[in-house]
Amino acid sequence: MATPATSSGSEHILDVRGVTKRFHGLVAVNDVTFHLRRGEILGLIGPNGAGKTTLVSMVNGTMQPSAGDILFEGQSVRALPAFRRAHLGIGRTFQVMKPFPGMSVLENASVGALFGAKGGEHSLRRAREQARESLEFVGLGKRITQRADALGGPDRKRLELAKALAMQPRLLLLDEVMAGLNHVEIEEVIEDIRKVRDRGISILVIEHVMKAITSLSDRVFVLHHGEKIVEGPTDEVLRDPRVVEAYLGKKRT
Amino acid sequence: MKSTAGIVVSAVVVALLAALPWYGNTVMLQFGISVLLLATLAQGWNIIGGYTGYASFGNSVFYGLGAYGVAIAMTQFNLPFWVGMLLGLALAVVFAALLGLAVLRLRGHYFAIATLGLAFIMTAIVSNLEIAGRNIGLVLPLLKSDVLFYELALGLLVLVTLTVLWLSRSRFGLGLVAIRENEEGAAVMGVNTTLYKVLAFMLSAAFTGLAGGIYAYYITFIDPVGVFDVSLNVKMIIMAVFGGPGSVLGPVVGAFVLSTISEVLATKVTSFASMFFGIVIVIAVVFMPRGIAHLVENFRRTGWRYFAGNVRTHRL
Repeated sequence: MATPATSSGSEHILDVRGVTKRFHGLVAVNDVTFHLRRGEILGLIGPNGAGKTTLVSMVNGTMQPSAGDILFEGQSVRALPAFRRAHLGIGRTFQVMKPFPGMSVLENASVGALFGAKGGEHSLRRAREQARESLEFVGLGKRITQRADALGGPDRKRLELAKALAMQPRLLLLDEVMAGLNHVEIEEVIEDIRKVRDRGISILVIEHVMKAITSLSDRVFVLHHGEKIVEGPTDEVLRDPRVVEAYLGKKRT
Repeated sequence: MKSTAGIVVSAVVVALLAALPWYGNTVMLQFGISVLLLATLAQGWNIIGGYTGYASFGNSVFYGLGAYGVAIAMTQFNLPFWVGMLLGLALAVVFAALLGLAVLRLRGHYFAIATLGLAFIMTAIVSNLEIAGRNIGLVLPLLKSDVLFYELALGLLVLVTLTVLWLSRSRFGLGLVAIRENEEGAAVMGVNTTLYKVLAFMLSAAFTGLAGGIYAYYITFIDPVGVFDVSLNVKMIIMAVFGGPGSVLGPVVGAFVLSTISEVLATKVTSFASMFFGIVIVIAVVFMPRGIAHLVENFRRTGWRYFAGNVRTHRL
């Protein structure tokens, strides 16, 4: 398991190598290779059903790849269960949010603080402090005593982000945290994500909101039918005819 | 609960209960032993069922193992009672660990059914074990000391309740609640869900097994059908759910209230007692499906509308 850190290992926080996911006959993700540099924001885009969420699930351990390898900070994490990857510093949000409905907002984030990176903060008091900080960061500071299932849609999205941040991750995987938000809210979240990156956290962003992708990402890669079709600087990728085709179909001339 | 007031009230209640042998009669004492043991069982179930969210029907098996631990140690090896308690404890906890690794991967109804099947299997197995007296059962040495059994049962109930109190305000307990509320979400945030579930199951088994051990010595005769009784498991669940699963005092209050109602009915209307008891349960489920603890928390705010609200939200 302990692959010694190569020269690229120190520069790349995440290395995904030839990862494939098959669901019986269906190939959801096919031989995808990409990497994430330290402190980078990498955008991941693609039409619905392209395999974006499946790819993220294999990185954080919610799903096991059928083939390929995943290296976090130079070490293979392929065989590790999700909770161990959380301890190593991989945090994620879910597109279909997974709050703890019967718990208060503060308790929700506290779970992240108590069990997250390095096994979490074992003191309940300090974990609450940490949780409160991340809740205030996303703008939920006034709602910490409410039950999670009493929150509205946008606040649930914020909670999902706060829970992941409370884990104190080094790599954050954001799966459509802006879906369903209005323009003002999207601007706020974009600003939040920038601040998170400024703390030195590397981020993978899945997003359909193109404004977010263009203003945040250092690089973008595009998934289509489970395969990586293009990768590169954001503006180049978005102009690429293959990307336009994947989203809009072939031009008929 | 405001902490100082809560501590004082709890201490007074426990002291009053502990002093019962000096002001109560034999009937009260025997009723007390049965209620205290049932409350311990409901509270033990609360750990796996209420906090972790896994509706276990295997707890009556832990109870039976605890009972047989004491019975086998005392009758077959002439060992003292406390050694038997340790044996029963070990049997229950080890069994919970092995069982937990196998069946705690199942969720919801599947977990309930798998553990339910187990109670029947255990009855069959123990009925064929020479050392456990086969299906005839075992007769334990007679110790006529209701006071001792009463105080032991009270001590165990206090111990399990303090454990649940710790659970309700510890990292471990919050991990269990996270598993109950969203298991996948908990794992992604770093909770070792398999380990936590098995530990909760073992903790639940420990108290349930000890209660079985006290029962065996108190009742002096046990047989497989009697101590691996699934209906006892159903009782634990009804009491815990009636009182409020996932709360610290709910299951204890549930056990006290339901046992008292059932006892009063049995003396007043003898032949129809179980029918009336059934009606009480049905009414409780319709009007306060989330238990006494939830009712107390919310009644002050909503008043009598609390009951109407429950009927409406659950569309009965």
